Amino acid sequence: MLIIAEKLNGTLKKTAAAIAARDVAFVQDLALRQVAAGAAYIDVNAGTAPAREPDDLVWLVDTVQEVTETPLCLDSANPAAIQAGLARVKRPPMINSISGERNRIEGVLPLVAGNAAGVIALLLDDNGIPKDVEGRMVVARRLLDLTRAAGIADKDVYVDPLAIAVSTKQDGALVALDTMRALRAEAPEVRFSVGLSNISFGLPIRKVVNRAFLTLALQAGLDAAIMDPLDDSLYSEMLAAEMVLGRDRFCRKYTSAFRANRIVA
Amino acid sequence: MANELAMAMADLDEEKVQALVKAGLAGGVDPSALLNECREGMTLIGQRFETGEYYLSDLIMAGEIFKTAAADLAAQGGSSGPTKGKVVMGTVKGDIHDIGKDIVVTMLRGANYEVTDLGVDVPPAKFIEAVKETGAPVLGMSGLLTISFDPMKETVAALQAAGLRGRVKVMIGGGPVSEQVREYVGADALGVDAQAAVALAGQWLAA
Repeated sequence: MLIIAEKLNGTLKKTAAAIAARDVAFVQDLALRQVAAGAAYIDVNAGTAPAREPDDLVWLVDTVQEVTETPLCLDSANPAAIQAGLARVKRPPMINSISGERNRIEGVLPLVAGNAAGVIALLLDDNGIPKDVEGRMVVARRLLDLTRAAGIADKDVYVDPLAIAVSTKQDGALVALDTMRALRAEAPEVRFSVGLSNISFGLPIRKVVNRAFLTLALQAGLDAAIMDPLDDSLYSEMLAAEMVLGRDRFCRKYTSAFRANRIVA
Repeated sequence: MANELAMAMADLDEEKVQALVKAGLAGGVDPSALLNECREGMTLIGQRFETGEYYLSDLIMAGEIFKTAAADLAAQGGSSGPTKGKVVMGTVKGDIHDIGKDIVVTMLRGANYEVTDLGVDVPPAKFIEAVKETGAPVLGMSGLLTISFDPMKETVAALQAAGLRGRVKVMIGGGPVSEQVREYVGADALGVDAQAAVALAGQWLAA
């Protein structure tokens, strides 16, 4: 499973302060620690007002690329910021994200083909987030029609089935898991990614909830997650679940992680 | 002192709330008095959320219990008398996040404000229209994305252009919203959570 490391996000207080203060040391240290902890991509989200966001994102991109070869995941709902980031990346990034919303289709989708290694596609449109599996499948089919027409291979599309916080919707996780299974049956090449921590919003000891959901999502076919690789208990759960699901040859990833002191009970 | 019904509401004891409402009505208690007790319970729930005793799922449940009880009591002629005032609420254009906005609406209604909930992805013109129609002196805008800031700013500008800015207080809320954003948008206040929104409405509508 690919880890898209989540901590360089301007909606987090410490990262926001570092972006505002142009704190190079903070950003580079956090980037390197996430890489060492197993990040396949480093998500960068400036989280600032639209007028500032392109400059702030470019600064993040440049600052992170000074210290690591790990590719980036450009994270913004603002097409101008994505475009500015794309002009600076040294390796094809992931783009986070498109959706069925008109502004994302018109603004972000055209930037993907030929520039990015992958794109995260959220299953919502201008009418909101469909409540049931069938509604999400309608959005997924429409999005895949658009990505295919734009020349993007299914294997480069990371569909986010949108796990709704279980504190607000009792079947918030179930709909996402069932959507993954249904879409995989229809489009087997398409990949799945989730923003992991959303599921536990509004609940105590969120890490426990995140771990339970990650395990269940892996069973439903999860390929990637935007998550905190520095959370050793989550990382352990991920490796154990992949091993139990038969995705870890001779248990090498799990035992190697144990030898590196990464497995915690 | 909160009585049994208010405490049952505050403790999210759904069956007990329903039983007490039913027993109260059967015993000839004024439905309006029962409704006010439910509101007292909602205030306690808001406080428990603020102190970290209650979680989001508790607030959602509180909203459901209150809605059912309030509907039953209203059907029997229950009313809390005049509301504390009108508030227009919505999530701004380009953003479809509803959780935070819905909680603010629930808590405001629980506190006896008359809330016009415009839903999500609300364009500036729709906010202005609702403010005009209702005459509400308070407008609340929610946004969870950085691209929500410009629609908020546009809405404040549209209030100004419509000559309404002087009589309408504007509050904003949502994950990425900060004091800098409040300044950029030109709102009067920033509400970090639902309790803050209720407190702001109270402050503005009491004046």
